Amino acid sequence: MVHALEEISRLLKQDGWLIDIHPIRKAPLIKIHRGSDLLFIESDPGYDYDEGLRHADDALEDAIRRGLFLVEGKNEFELVTYASSAAEMREYWAKYGAFDGTPKDESIVAHQNDVYAKAGEIMRSNEGAEITYHERARITRLRLLNGNEPIL
Amino acid sequence: MTIRVDPENNESRALFALAEFNGRRVLEIGCGDGRLTWRYADRAAHVTAIDPFEGSIARAKENTPDHLKSRVEFRHIGFEDFAAASKPSTFDIAILSWSL
Repeated sequence: MVHALEEISRLLKQDGWLIDIHPIRKAPLIKIHRGSDLLFIESDPGYDYDEGLRHADDALEDAIRRGLFLVEGKNEFELVTYASSAAEMREYWAKYGAFDGTPKDESIVAHQNDVYAKAGEIMRSNEGAEITYHERARITRLRLLNGNEPIL
Repeated sequence: MTIRVDPENNESRALFALAEFNGRRVLEIGCGDGRLTWRYADRAAHVTAIDPFEGSIARAKENTPDHLKSRVEFRHIGFEDFAAASKPSTFDIAILSWSL
């Protein structure tokens, strides 16, 4: 990650911006609403990338400390994903999780099975209900500084 | 209904609040299927959007709106390889899109 930030600094023009968007270190929420009624809310049991996010935060802080970039602004937002069923939602996120190639722990998979089974049951028994996935993310604008020193 | 991601545009609102894209050359790292790319590309001069996952880039290319095709280049390539083959000081903005 540190090397990637150094390479990005090389590709940017003088005074260029790096915009970093990554999730905050908190498990996303799965919710089911029908109208204004909240029928279900549960943390995603598949959230197991806290360490990766910590490394990302550390790499950014390191690049700032070394004078590669200057933070000019930051904000947080919520990214909401909508699906027509619990199964569709799970399949969608499984596709993304598959990218990291790391097999999930059996207990996590079992917990996921329980959560999505319960969500599926609620969706089936509540016509017009809507399932959503809520992930909070941080967006940061960093300006490339001159005179950066090599990151070792 | 199919999957809908961020129909409220929370992500692009947060992006536009922090960055001005008009006339800029943009590199997006980890563009996935182009979901975010299409939301800012019409403001930029040119966008190079890369991702190491072939399926995602294929979907991005296939679904790119016609009016953006001349200014967005989707490439199936990892960042290290891309950087090694790129000249310095090429881009005004680099976006790490959920990929650091």
